[in-house]
Amino acid sequence: MELSDKIALSLPCKAEYVSVARLTASGIAYRMGFDIDTVEDVKVAVSEVCSRLINVSKNSCAEYEILYEIGDNRLKITFSSKNIERAGCIFEDDKDGLGVAIIKAFMDEVEFCPDNKDYILSMTKFIEEKS
Amino acid sequence: MSGELILREEYTEKDAEVFVSGEIDIYNAQQFKEKIYQVVENSKGDVSIDCSGLSYLDSTGLGVFVGALKKAKQNGRDIHIVNIRDNIKKLFVITGLDKLFIIH
Repeated sequence: MELSDKIALSLPCKAEYVSVARLTASGIAYRMGFDIDTVEDVKVAVSEVCSRLINVSKNSCAEYEILYEIGDNRLKITFSSKNIERAGCIFEDDKDGLGVAIIKAFMDEVEFCPDNKDYILSMTKFIEEKS
Repeated sequence: MSGELILREEYTEKDAEVFVSGEIDIYNAQQFKEKIYQVVENSKGDVSIDCSGLSYLDSTGLGVFVGALKKAKQNGRDIHIVNIRDNIKKLFVITGLDKLFIIH
């Protein structure tokens, strides 16, 4: 399935801008026709990744990018950063595992530790077909 | 940038209650932590957290809830979560924290 429209967001690695990523995610998910509960789920998952990225990168991250790719039946969200030292597996030593549990529960597909260093994490939510 | 976090506490002779409004995320979790720890410290009994105005919570905020519960338990007390919205309760259920807290 082709991902047709792409929306890119570049944010400073600062906690005060995580809400911007959240609002963007919910706006796109809502626009795509996800139900309200799912919009909320996507929003939370995006926020979890942003928070983790900021936490693990400490001072090594100046900014990061979020790419929202919109398909007929899915929303794919990819996180990347050119200057983060901790590229790769940002959740590998997540002590309490709360973030991972939330992301896994709320997204349909998650690539936590991509081999490809071009991005840090990728996750997808599918629109449930209405019968 | 996040929804403003408003915290208000009330003490009685027996216990304490904290009213939480707004959003809790990585940006203001520390503010929430300081307040809730202070109330747990000062309360003479259990602490209730009224979440009727809480519209958003992430794992950073959940971590503060857990820390506050540990602190309360050390003093033989409990934390009660009241008036929680479905979208927030869902996070407690997914992470298994609903089994640790008394959720009304």
